[in-house]
Amino acid sequence: MANPELINEVKEHIIDALHLEDITPADIENDAPLFGDGLGLDSIDALELIVMLEKKYGIRIANPADGKDVFKSVTSIAEFVSSHKA
Amino acid sequence: MGAIESQNTKWAGTTFGTSWMHRSLIGMLRWIDVRVLYAFVAVFVVPVTLVVSPGAKVIYHYFRRIWNQPVLKAVWSTYRNHYIFSQVIIDRFAIWSGKKYEVTVDNYEAFNRLADKSDGFVILSAHIGNYEVAGYHLKTDKILNALVYAGEKDTVMANRDKLFSEMNIRMIPTSEDMSHIFQMDNALTSGEIVSMPADRMFGSVKNVVKTFLGHKAKLPLGPFNIATMRGYDVLAVNVMKTKWNAFTIYVKDLEYDKQASRREQVSQLSDSYVGELDKRVRQFPYQWFNFFEFWEE
Repeated sequence: MANPELINEVKEHIIDALHLEDITPADIENDAPLFGDGLGLDSIDALELIVMLEKKYGIRIANPADGKDVFKSVTSIAEFVSSHKA
Repeated sequence: MGAIESQNTKWAGTTFGTSWMHRSLIGMLRWIDVRVLYAFVAVFVVPVTLVVSPGAKVIYHYFRRIWNQPVLKAVWSTYRNHYIFSQVIIDRFAIWSGKKYEVTVDNYEAFNRLADKSDGFVILSAHIGNYEVAGYHLKTDKILNALVYAGEKDTVMANRDKLFSEMNIRMIPTSEDMSHIFQMDNALTSGEIVSMPADRMFGSVKNVVKTFLGHKAKLPLGPFNIATMRGYDVLAVNVMKTKWNAFTIYVKDLEYDKQASRREQVSQLSDSYVGELDKRVRQFPYQWFNFFEFWEE
């Protein structure tokens, strides 16, 4: 389980990477889907998130298909980061 | 930065004709001068196209609204635009049949400077002139990955494949699942070149609004995002037809501040792109071949 500080940090990185200027971390639900009906992100956004993980946490997702599970929600991203930090 | 908006416009254009027609045309061009075909299309094909093609209406609007031309002049300009577009298509098949054209490269050193580096870089093109010629003439040891429309006819793709495979060029077809975005990223991180048009939507609905030829126009955000995401160097490459048997390849460095915020980088890069495109289209107004309503009402 990812800690609340990390979840908040991930939200801030998402907002920054995707230029979601009208959205605050509080507007993003931890477990809401990021793609489709959630934040309505598309594949370019997925690539932005992959690059964000590389730049901010030094984690590289070599196979974009793996991103599906990682980018399900803010919680899943935070858990992924947490498991790679450990 | 211009507003980022959503748009449903999606291009689905392909080269006209069946595979058999394409093969026959290539065969014919081995024996006859392209000018014979130019004359044929000028008399028999272009007038019909002006009546049946939805693109003719779009280009008529382009000359009326963007160039403020009176009705009759705009009709004549639309004819000229379609005639030159027909020539460009014939030229493409003529190149596949082995015909040679005079090609001049303006600012080749900018291309060579980036080609000599180990990093990947991005080429942003547009639907003007005959961009495909650049692929046959800009020489480099790097692999050049060209984003192409996936619905293009088999003969067109086969002929591109044949010529391109001899020249270190790989095609990345657009894909509904947008996997082409990841293919482009992989190519760039491997130090290769990725070339894509930045004046037409390919699946993603996000766009940036910029002033182009004095009017607000929507450009896809994707190419600018991909280029700035990892801070790649970017060139604009446009190939314009200058004579019946000659082309000039215009290469231009597209500058942006890599230390600025991402939003600002995208804004600066799209401004640089539009600035170069504006210059070329003003220089060659009849070679604008983006056959959909590009400008906002």
